[in-house]
Amino acid sequence: MNPSKLKISRWLAALPLAFSLHAGLHAETVARYGISMADIPLTTGQPDRGAGAYQFTGHTLYDPLIAWEANVGNRPGKLVPGLATDWKVDAKDQKKWVFNLRKGVKFHDGSEFNADAVIWNLDKVLADKSPQFDAKQSAQVRPRIPSIASYRKLGDYSVEITTKEVDALFPYQLPWFLVSSPSQWEKLGKDWNKVASQPSGTGPFKLDKLVPRERADLVKNAGYWDKTRLPKTDRIVLLPIPDAMTRANALLNGQVDIIETPPPDVLPQLKAGGFKLVQNVTPHVWPYHFSTYPGSPWTDIRVRKAANLAIDRNAVVQLMSGLATPAKGQVDVTSPWFGKPSFKLGYDVAAARKLMAEAGYSQAKPLKAKVIIAQGGTGQMLSLPMNEFVQQSLAEVGIDVSFEVVELENLYRHWRSGAKADINAGKGITAINLGYVTADPFYAITRFTDSKYVAPNGVNWGGYNNPKVDAALEKIRTTFDTKTQDGLLAFVHQSMVDDAQMLWVVHDVNPHALSPKVKEFVQAQHWFQDLTTIRM
Amino acid sequence: MPAASAPSRSYWAIVWRQLRRDPMALAAASVLLIIVAAAVFAPWLAPADPYKASMIKRLLPIGSAGFLLGTDELGRDLLSRLMYGGRLSLLMGVVPVLAAFGIGTAIGLFAGYVGGKLNMIIMRVLDVFYAFPSVLLAVAISGALGPGMSNSLIALTLVFVPQVVRVAESVTTQVRQLDYIEAARMSGASAFSIIRVHVLGNVLGPVFVYATGLLSVSMILASGLSFLGLGVKPPEPEWGLMLNTLRSAIYSNPWVAALPGLLIFVTSIAFNLLADSVRSAMDIRR
Amino acid sequence: MFAYILKRLLYAIPIALSVTVVSFILVYLAPGDPLNAIAPADAPEEVITALRSAYGLDQPVPVQYGLWLMRAVQGDLGLSIATGREVTSEVLSAVGNTLLLAGVAALIGVVAGCILGALAGYRHGSWIDRLATALSVVGVSIPHYWLGLVLTILFSIWQPWFPAMGAGPGGSSEWLWDLEHFRYLVLPAVTLSVIPMGIITRTVRALVADMLAQEFVTALRARGLSGIAVFRHVAKNTAPTVLAVAGLQIGYLMGGSILVETVFAWPGTGFLLNTAIFQRDIPLLQGTILVLCMFFVALNLLVDILQPLIDPRMGRA
Repeated sequence: MNPSKLKISRWLAALPLAFSLHAGLHAETVARYGISMADIPLTTGQPDRGAGAYQFTGHTLYDPLIAWEANVGNRPGKLVPGLATDWKVDAKDQKKWVFNLRKGVKFHDGSEFNADAVIWNLDKVLADKSPQFDAKQSAQVRPRIPSIASYRKLGDYSVEITTKEVDALFPYQLPWFLVSSPSQWEKLGKDWNKVASQPSGTGPFKLDKLVPRERADLVKNAGYWDKTRLPKTDRIVLLPIPDAMTRANALLNGQVDIIETPPPDVLPQLKAGGFKLVQNVTPHVWPYHFSTYPGSPWTDIRVRKAANLAIDRNAVVQLMSGLATPAKGQVDVTSPWFGKPSFKLGYDVAAARKLMAEAGYSQAKPLKAKVIIAQGGTGQMLSLPMNEFVQQSLAEVGIDVSFEVVELENLYRHWRSGAKADINAGKGITAINLGYVTADPFYAITRFTDSKYVAPNGVNWGGYNNPKVDAALEKIRTTFDTKTQDGLLAFVHQSMVDDAQMLWVVHDVNPHALSPKVKEFVQAQHWFQDLTTIRM
Repeated sequence: MPAASAPSRSYWAIVWRQLRRDPMALAAASVLLIIVAAAVFAPWLAPADPYKASMIKRLLPIGSAGFLLGTDELGRDLLSRLMYGGRLSLLMGVVPVLAAFGIGTAIGLFAGYVGGKLNMIIMRVLDVFYAFPSVLLAVAISGALGPGMSNSLIALTLVFVPQVVRVAESVTTQVRQLDYIEAARMSGASAFSIIRVHVLGNVLGPVFVYATGLLSVSMILASGLSFLGLGVKPPEPEWGLMLNTLRSAIYSNPWVAALPGLLIFVTSIAFNLLADSVRSAMDIRR
Repeated sequence: MFAYILKRLLYAIPIALSVTVVSFILVYLAPGDPLNAIAPADAPEEVITALRSAYGLDQPVPVQYGLWLMRAVQGDLGLSIATGREVTSEVLSAVGNTLLLAGVAALIGVVAGCILGALAGYRHGSWIDRLATALSVVGVSIPHYWLGLVLTILFSIWQPWFPAMGAGPGGSSEWLWDLEHFRYLVLPAVTLSVIPMGIITRTVRALVADMLAQEFVTALRARGLSGIAVFRHVAKNTAPTVLAVAGLQIGYLMGGSILVETVFAWPGTGFLLNTAIFQRDIPLLQGTILVLCMFFVALNLLVDILQPLIDPRMGRA
């Protein structure tokens, strides 16, 4: 296109805008963010719509006791103090953890944050009989904090949480537990539905406006306790645009300034238009999580290994226009937890066919399996085309996969219920395709491998049960030394790979596309991004 | 309005001659013939396996060596997929209309012939379905039944049946009151034979014209359901679904991305033009 | 006249009731236990028990229908499974957006259709007739969701004149009747208008051509009656039919907008239906269908009542 022509038409397009702007002209900086979700996630405290939603209505409006450092991009983040200034395990009884709470922190409604608020929030999601119990928030967070057994107030600014058993990895569960204001709930007639539109947390942003399914306005909380994380933009408008193409069009057209996961095929167009593409190493994997319960076609390890050998992962990377890296396991080979699996993931159709033949199947006599997948959404990458490619690849080795395509939130429901539940097993679903965050040991490894976390107690979806792994996990939980922990985690991971627990396909790089108007955006090496780093 | 007596063989001959002389009808029919033939004979005509994916060959432009119409987002031969896709798209366009034609004519004949209260009850019940806009009814039914091709077929058939019944019933009611049918009834002919000999011939014409008009509606609705993800499931090729999945290629390879939509468009125009021609050819005795 | 309106009103009641029956049955069409259709799969036991008794699922189906209808009449359409919000409020906010889109699209379609159709009818057989006929065939044949994509590329990206998505810079809740907001409406409304445009062009063309061919019109013309008088006569006589067709079309657009709303991320009922279907959110699906169909029934009623008022022939009766 002729650039001068483009300029003129841009100018023409801006004309009506200029007319309407005069009324609301002030110095507020605004970033409009097109997110890949179909709706604004829950705003009451614990977001729904998966881990990816925490960056939008979780860690923006609220704070956890222990936070994940997401405002650095040049190295992986780590656990950092949140509403708790420090925490330590009781040397005598290692099930007990003491948290010292931050003083002088205020909720958005002006009320004080203290130990009572923490206990009240734990009750909110764990004590079914408490008046503030919210089934919706509870359903979201309960599987993410499976270790908590009990808790009590020690002082105005100190609480003690007891875990079900000794669990050295327990702190990693806490960034998922967010603290909302008890007094706001009281003030709004003890009605969580009302809190949804006027929530109150301690986070760096306040919710200014919520239009379900359309937009949420986050405005800067000038009084935020962590001055290093004061938002660099006054207002962030979240716009749910689930369709990737519509999202890209909105960016190209200037309706939004940032989008998540631009469709790979639009990258050339975006680059030509002066848009920036940012990506980073991301702890994420795109797998088929197998059910190994009796009756599942995946109970035979030869079939699971064959599936892992049937996929040309480089081709998938190509399909993603390079916005992915091939998976060799649950975590990347560079991870300290990768270990030395003897089973090497790769592309070897002959070997895969041989394994299938040993299991009694071939292209002529294929094994049938049903996989539940999402239409799309955060973390699902190019869900449909990638699944079609996997389906085609598996067919070549004699695995005939059919899909049950659902909306992402629905997929989470199927996930939390576990493979054995009627909504899965009853429908013949024996594998689930869900993008997993693999940032910490708990999220990457233990929650999927521990037989204690078999759904519905956790998200060991397929019923993985390996006594050796359980023994190693037991040791990890009682080892407070990181080096030893890493060694044990490597053993568990290598067992996962050798058992071919999942079909691992690729790791995402979590791409974002930015308009030239965005001056700064730190992309963390995580699934969470810190929205306070956006500067216009 | 239909003739007083059942149309004779010569009537259809005249219609046929009329159609053959209509250039629009001929053009539309030949386009349809090519599309239908390509779809029906796809297993023999298609140059490649429509499911065979190859990432290095993805989104090749039209006219690439070995891929006449280029390739789709998974590197599958687009020409072959369009040919195979025609099978499902045409099927989903034609089957609901055929089913509605059969079911609707039967109900309409029955209701019109028995007349009276029963007729009124049947027609009032069908009026309810008229209270639903057709797309909405199709979406509601496939939404409740769950996505899938057979559910879309059921939904579309349910959308068309009441419309066909209305046409069939109104013609039957008119014909039934004619003297010679009254006479046949007096002479003791069975209801079945009266309907078959005297009524059916009169009813089929108008219903047929109406049904041909529905073909394009059905095509567009069916691909629309697939576009929404309610119809055919991947990796089955179907034009509506292909239109959806190729959308992201619209910048890098606009012509390839436009092809499935273009085919739906062309087929639907051909159906409409043919329906128009059939309508005017069959009106000659009016 | 009164008797006629009363008759129409009475006739609409059973239709409206039947619509509620069909909407109610949707829950039973869904495969599996109806409870699964109305409760989240991971709902705690007390929620399930509460729902079971609220919906009367342990009672005979007619009783369930009665309970459901009672609540529906009072404006309680249940809770959305996915969001837990009230279905009524979700649907009512979306229905306004759909009406806006469908109304503007119908307006464009009717006006364009009438002009094209009238021109074609007047100049029967001319090039303008052929053009109008071709346009009307295109209008009813084009997959409009595809047209929407093409228009977005052309007029939102290539020439960035109009927004590609959404209902205004502030979302639908801040809708204003100004130029800036209207820009958001242009592409979806034009996309949606091609179907009524095609149908109305056809109808008007046939009516006008028929009318002009009638002997008394030729006689009027021969007597030297001005073009305007002839036009007035034609307009008067075609208006009732056009009204009937247009009314029906607005109704169809309300349902048909689902595809266009999906393409343009327009926050209307179509968008709602789409999410409801994929989230298997049956209460939301049910509520949306019910409200849309009630609008459709009301619209048909309105057309039925208006039609004789403007029909010169009916006036005599």
